[in-house]
Amino acid sequence: MHERRPGKVTSPIVSLSTSYVKLVPFGLILAALGFGIGYLMSGGDFQRFSFSYLTVFCTALSTMLGCLFFVVSQHLTRAGWSATVRRIGEIYAMSVPLMLLLFLVILVPILLMNYSAVYGWVKDGWTGGSPNPSFQELKDTYLNKMWFGIRIVAYFSIWGLMAWSFFGTSLKQDTTGDKLLSRKMQKSATWKMIIFAATIVFASFDLEMSLAPRWFSTMFPVYFFAGGVMSAFALISLTSLLLQRSGRVTDEITTEHYHDLAKLTFAFVFFWGYIAFSQFLLIWYANLPEETFWYRYRMADLAGSGWKNWSLLLLFGHLFIPFLGLMARTVRRNKTYLLFANIYILVMHWVDHYWIIMPQLGTMKATDPETAPLALPFNPLIDIPMLVGITGIVITFFCVLAADRPLIALKDPRLEEALNYKNV
Amino acid sequence: MAHSHKPEKEKPVGPSSKLVSLVAQFDDPDSLVAACDRARREGYQKMDAYSPFPVHGIDDAIGIRRTRLPFFVLAIAFCGLAFALFLQYYVNSTDESPLFPGYKFFISGKPLGVPGVPANIPVTFEIIVLSSAFATFFGMWILNGLPRFANPLHRIPRFRRATNDRFFLVLEAEDEKFNESRSRQQLEEWGATAIEECHLDLTDHEIPKNFKMAGIVLLFALLLPPALIYRAAGMTNRNPRLHVVPDMDWQDKFKTQTVGPNFSNDELVPDYLFGDPSAMRHPVAGTIARGDATGQDEFHLGYKPGSEPAPAHGGPNANTQDPAVQDPAAQAAEPEWLTSFPGGVQVSEATIARGKQRFEIYCTPCHGFDGNGGGLTNQHAQALAVQGKANWTAVKSLHDPAVKSQAVGRIFDTITNGRATMGPYQNQIPAADRWAIVMYVKALQQTGIETTGATAEASSATEAPAGN
Repeated sequence: MHERRPGKVTSPIVSLSTSYVKLVPFGLILAALGFGIGYLMSGGDFQRFSFSYLTVFCTALSTMLGCLFFVVSQHLTRAGWSATVRRIGEIYAMSVPLMLLLFLVILVPILLMNYSAVYGWVKDGWTGGSPNPSFQELKDTYLNKMWFGIRIVAYFSIWGLMAWSFFGTSLKQDTTGDKLLSRKMQKSATWKMIIFAATIVFASFDLEMSLAPRWFSTMFPVYFFAGGVMSAFALISLTSLLLQRSGRVTDEITTEHYHDLAKLTFAFVFFWGYIAFSQFLLIWYANLPEETFWYRYRMADLAGSGWKNWSLLLLFGHLFIPFLGLMARTVRRNKTYLLFANIYILVMHWVDHYWIIMPQLGTMKATDPETAPLALPFNPLIDIPMLVGITGIVITFFCVLAADRPLIALKDPRLEEALNYKNV
Repeated sequence: MAHSHKPEKEKPVGPSSKLVSLVAQFDDPDSLVAACDRARREGYQKMDAYSPFPVHGIDDAIGIRRTRLPFFVLAIAFCGLAFALFLQYYVNSTDESPLFPGYKFFISGKPLGVPGVPANIPVTFEIIVLSSAFATFFGMWILNGLPRFANPLHRIPRFRRATNDRFFLVLEAEDEKFNESRSRQQLEEWGATAIEECHLDLTDHEIPKNFKMAGIVLLFALLLPPALIYRAAGMTNRNPRLHVVPDMDWQDKFKTQTVGPNFSNDELVPDYLFGDPSAMRHPVAGTIARGDATGQDEFHLGYKPGSEPAPAHGGPNANTQDPAVQDPAAQAAEPEWLTSFPGGVQVSEATIARGKQRFEIYCTPCHGFDGNGGGLTNQHAQALAVQGKANWTAVKSLHDPAVKSQAVGRIFDTITNGRATMGPYQNQIPAADRWAIVMYVKALQQTGIETTGATAEASSATEAPAGN
């Protein structure tokens, strides 16, 4: 009963093989239907559609970046336990550069048509309501269309190269079994982690924080990162569960790996809460109007906007409920429970990005954001199809990238360790 | 006892000792795990395995239940949460909180109770972490039956190798399945390379005498610090205070509003950034600092702006402790004090009530509740002054005719800037509250308490009823 299992893959199916051919059209139809219905239901209001689209885009992108972080961190720490689930992370990380295609929907109108209804600073002579004339000048050096476009392309290129360096090397190891490749990836993970951190900081500034260009928080990138990594662990766990339900990689990913993924999800649930609170507390305590307005929109329930309830949903649904719900060992090892818990975490991650992005729609529409009612724009007929649409995109990207490649790093030198891994 | 495996070393075996367990040695972890597995299947429950390093699968083999410690820690963490929130609510409670009346002391304008909870979260978080850490550490002790002074296992020389290169399975005699000869036989079957009996020595359960003596001495030694503190409480001492950490008491540092520190070492004197050794930059010309925009109007001055005498003669803003101000000629040159309350001050019962409350916080320590100058500070200082231990100018009675005749603006100015030995209160009390206090003082003066000047006799008359 205590013999060690050799580091060999024994599952009957270890790749998506033919099913990806069937799943890709399914994902694309889901995406087309979701985004199509979302657009129709917003009544041709491209601004409304764009905000909802940006929300689901950022939800998916931050999760995939979380997967990229997972891959880099596992190499960096020479982790053994994760050798069975790392490939799934690699595939999602590889989807990051493809996400640039989706961002074109936002980026092209900005660059070609000067579309300023999403990012207000695009408008010429934009002052953001600041009485300070040098404000615009200061902002213009960083927030201008061209430089924004260049940065966005640069981020996605860097992430793409980074993801490919891990995914490609790992695939090469599948055939050659060269152990030195693992050493090579570990070495490069050191400086790649630094580049990852640098890019995600500015990407979060550009994508989400610049929606409210007069609001500053140096904590924001960490907040963006914490939520993304949390949902990345949930996504990897959920994907493993679904793959195993379809009869793939059944022998390799064990309860121990689910247990660990759930532990990490739990850790990042609380890390997210810690960072969210740190960001909030400093602003709340200093009580400076130039910073508090951002939270005021979201929490003060101005003119019964309903955003207060959304904030409470975030506090309880994104922090307290998953914190208590993922605390016990037994539930972390219960696959049926985890299936629902992971979906729940991913939905909460969307709630989080909705809370960041959508209030800015109200401030864009309002003539006087200080007094105008900023009603919670949640409309299930628009926002839920958009969520379905991005799910279709994620499925499509996963299937295209996984194709008939193995879903497990077949000859990873640490596979044996991972297969024999046991939580004490 | 007729077995081949006899204890190797001499040991007090006899009626004075009790067999507590059988200790079986194994040479490799696999046979230990196998033996544990067999023992569990045989129905043994009270047993334990010892190995130099963690052996995978041993928990399952020995049938150890998962520890209850996490639930214990969780419960303590919730207690920590409740305690931390209660503590902060309690120590911050104001005179308006329903359960625990206290001082009105809003910390940086943050409200008490649920709206102010964010300010309490960091402390709560730390207390939860601390209490959980203690619960984990000491809970582990309790669940393991620690601390324990001795374990009979340590008397078996062979057992020492449990920390080096041998593996042990210990079957306890308390187990229902335990039978000395049968258990020994089973252990042999399971591959034990050596079996020893572990005896609990029953002869010597007394605590050694010198331990007892040391304990008594220690107890008496513990009484010394409180005794010394008690003795010191009633003593006076002419020696200067003991400076344990002198470089903390006298620091080479810039203090606010000063010219610059006195550096003890010339080498430490820095190159001043602005060529000026001031601790602070001067405000930019023409700017007003936050909170300083309290205009130069009647409401904030207590007199008609422009009516003040030249500052050289000691205006209301000059340092009143300067002897020059005491000079009658200088005092004669006074601004045109307001004789009625300025605009913005509402003469009403509510304002007087507010004034009473503020008066009782800020003024009563010296002036007393009735304004006769019989406050606690005055009483103590007078007593010390009589013994020659302090210099003390008696507190002025607010019922002194000289005070009673003063204009409201003049009293306001006294509170604002201080007079003689009384310090300025403009930074502690907002202007509106100062006016409220003036109103209360005027009301107090109407009560008819007549005293002349502030003497020791007057100040002892604190039992006089205070009306308003």
